Amino acid sequence: MKPSIERIGSLLALKRTERPEEGYWQDFLCEFHQRQREEVAKRRTFSGLCERTTDWFSELGGAKWLHGAGLAYAMLMAALLVIPRGVEVEVVPLVPVNHRMT
Amino acid sequence: MFFRQPQRPDPDRDLVSQAQHGDTRAFDALIIKYGDKLYGLVYNMTSHKEDTHDLLQNIFARAYQSLGKFRGQSSFYTWIYQIAVNQTLNFLKKRKRRAGVSLDDPESSAADDPGLVDTAHAANPEQQSNLNELHKRLNEAMRSLSNSHRTVVAMFDIQGMPHGEIAKVLRISEGTVRSRLHYAHQQLQSFLQECWEQRF
Repeated sequence: MKPSIERIGSLLALKRTERPEEGYWQDFLCEFHQRQREEVAKRRTFSGLCERTTDWFSELGGAKWLHGAGLAYAMLMAALLVIPRGVEVEVVPLVPVNHRMT
Repeated sequence: MFFRQPQRPDPDRDLVSQAQHGDTRAFDALIIKYGDKLYGLVYNMTSHKEDTHDLLQNIFARAYQSLGKFRGQSSFYTWIYQIAVNQTLNFLKKRKRRAGVSLDDPESSAADDPGLVDTAHAANPEQQSNLNELHKRLNEAMRSLSNSHRTVVAMFDIQGMPHGEIAKVLRISEGTVRSRLHYAHQQLQSFLQECWEQRF
């Protein structure tokens, strides 16, 4: 015999009263403020900038592939514009030889 | 002609505005106000106390950083709830499945949790013991569900959110919410069948 859906629902509803232990939120706030101070200090460093860029990229979801492809294309175009194309060779126009019978 | 129900004013409007202007105590008050509910959500999705704590730190940090972008189109609670669900689901995708040690930890056994004491059977130790065993099995059953199914069960059955609200937070249709719940309930029923027959 299976428990009814209603009975399962009642059992699950009992879990609504689950709480963290006494004093949890006071400690939580202390830790939260500490992390905020560390975050402010980190933002001023280059590694913080890299981390934020990585986080932003990972949050893009499926669009990150489009952004990545666009960035790669832009870099390729920039490279093609900047890199020298090779030595220019002066072409001497051909002059027909005048063979005169003497 | 149909009239749209006027949107109820956000009860947290003043606190949110103060927090947006840099009042950290206002944001602290919001953490205290919604902490327990978000704790319940994340804990029932992850089944792990330490992960719950870390996730909550990240969730509130993310909310604080993004507070400037909050325009009040939804209530603050709906907004932060959405952040909590998204962060937790992202975490669950990355995490390898591991046993929910906290739920079987002797320090936090079902027998000690006042919320799990069935007052109707409080005078009957055998019945209470059966109930505790059932709760352990229920936690195992929850862990056996996929992330998406566990999420809707946590939101509907445990947190008591209506289908429409769940659909809005998860950005899925109400029909999808109902079908996921239906499937999840069937899975829970099958998982608990043996335990139920033995105990009741």
